[in-house]
Amino acid sequence: MSFIELRGVTRRYVKGEHTVTPLEEVDLDIAEGEFLVLIGPSGSGKTTLLNLLAGIDAPQAGSVHVGGFDVGHGRSGQLARWRARTVGYVFQRANLVPVLTAYENVELPLWLQKLSRRERHDRVTLALTAVGLADRAHHLPKQLSGGQEQRVAIARAIVADPDLLVADEPTGSLDAESARGILTLLRRLNDERGKTIVMVTHDPFAAGFGKRVLHLDKGKLLAKDDASGAPRAVAR
Amino acid sequence: MMKLFKLVAKNLGRRKGRTAFTVFGVASALAMLVLVESLGTGMSRAMDSTDAARTLVVFRKNRYCPQTSFLPESYTRRIEDLAGVESILPVKVFLNNCRASLDLVTFQGAPVETLLEQRNVRMVAGDAEAFRRQHDAALVGAEFAQRKGLGVGDRFRFGDIDVKVTGIFESDETTHESLILTHLEYLQRAGPVDRLGTVTQFEVFAEADVDVKDLATRIDGLFATAEEPTDTRPRVAYLESATRDLREILRFGRLLALACVAVVLSLVANTILMSVQERVRELGVMRSLGFRESHVVVLILGEALALAGLGALIGVGGALFLLGSMPLAIGSEGVTVSFAVTPGLVARGFAVAIATGVVAGLVPAIQSSRRGIVDSLGN
Repeated sequence: MSFIELRGVTRRYVKGEHTVTPLEEVDLDIAEGEFLVLIGPSGSGKTTLLNLLAGIDAPQAGSVHVGGFDVGHGRSGQLARWRARTVGYVFQRANLVPVLTAYENVELPLWLQKLSRRERHDRVTLALTAVGLADRAHHLPKQLSGGQEQRVAIARAIVADPDLLVADEPTGSLDAESARGILTLLRRLNDERGKTIVMVTHDPFAAGFGKRVLHLDKGKLLAKDDASGAPRAVAR
Repeated sequence: MMKLFKLVAKNLGRRKGRTAFTVFGVASALAMLVLVESLGTGMSRAMDSTDAARTLVVFRKNRYCPQTSFLPESYTRRIEDLAGVESILPVKVFLNNCRASLDLVTFQGAPVETLLEQRNVRMVAGDAEAFRRQHDAALVGAEFAQRKGLGVGDRFRFGDIDVKVTGIFESDETTHESLILTHLEYLQRAGPVDRLGTVTQFEVFAEADVDVKDLATRIDGLFATAEEPTDTRPRVAYLESATRDLREILRFGRLLALACVAVVLSLVANTILMSVQERVRELGVMRSLGFRESHVVVLILGEALALAGLGALIGVGGALFLLGSMPLAIGSEGVTVSFAVTPGLVARGFAVAIATGVVAGLVPAIQSSRRGIVDSLGN
């Protein structure tokens, strides 16, 4: 069994009188330690797929299992505890809490764990050091650049040592240099710490940092042929 | 959980102006509530502390203000002779205002020995002997002395009345602590010549086991055909009648205080709603990190309670400071009621604030906690 296993996953939304189906009958297996990149045009269902993997959304049909846990059918409290232990989410924008310092933002997920102040301090320092921001620990988000904010967000995502890291266009709002730094950092987390990473992007340059690339279009998953650049449907 | 409370404090600091105005609004309303209720407490004390069972007040019939009640002092002997009367105190009253007033000055003149015997006063400064000796001496109630900053040896002048304070007293009857007690003759001489030999009222202390209603009827029957007929009532009934204006004011004040609490409820709810609307995405991010619905409820409810609690601390504290540094009393028809604060009233103030915080914060807290994470993130 794969670390992540999606079977027949369908997700629909009702928007006014219309029903939108960003994902339809999707099957997907992701091995532990993989760095998977999902690419596709806007509205293709990339973020919906990421949300399902992170346990913040549930499918109408099919199943989502991550590390053997049935993500699609958990109760709210059960899912919250699972997310705190298992998933680190990096958003397109850093989404830091503006009144908390970089240190406190990174510490947030650890509030949910029974750790001593010392243990929390060690973990936060380690995470901030990993993203190269140990010297900015006591800066507020408004005192950081966009790239630095995103690195704090990555530190927040990895501080609880989750098995799965999901990143939704993490470089979408950054300049090229900052984007390269973030992508290099994600790749390093995958190579050196063995984190399973699923990243959504529409940027081919960013996709190049992944180890496997899949193409999503109109709710269907297509494999990308790296040689030709043309996507092909994934056989079920 | 402590970390969440720290975040509550930081969140309140985001919009310092908004937080300050909300806290100020809560504080003002709570101060108003405590002030109004302290009058209610004072009123209850005034009624409760009186010896209702055995004291009758004989007043001039169809007169409501002490300034217009004149009864011959000679009634003393006739009432005294009635069966069931243990003692009688003829009292001359002089006051500055018959209607409700925040600065009521009430002189009561009575025969010194009977006065000291019948009024259960405890001297806290000065001595009664000096009061006995000097014809212009006065014993001042502790509340009035504090309100006017009077001490033993001071002179107090009001109109034609000029007295020397020879003692300050406390009494089980809280309404007595706002009085200035003088010699009867001295007060009588301060008034018009044609009112010499008259008093305002008699305080009749009945013997034990005497039917006071029957005694009141007998007293009034005695003077039914006299030029100055009487109206005799138990002291409680007299106080109730004398303080009816105050009770109306209290009733109106309570309505105002209730309206203030409603305004505070809206104010806190509005602040919390605005705060939550600004942070929909942030709360979504927190949920995605593993924070549960209950954490969101605690966070938002905590903010509402902190606003209400901080306001209560300032408002109730301010009211206590005000009443402590500037003793307030309101009087009507010669009866003064002091604003009184009890621990129970302070607790009630905080309870109202907490209840307001809960009511104001609960709906936004539950709505935010139940909002879907994806919806909150704007995906």
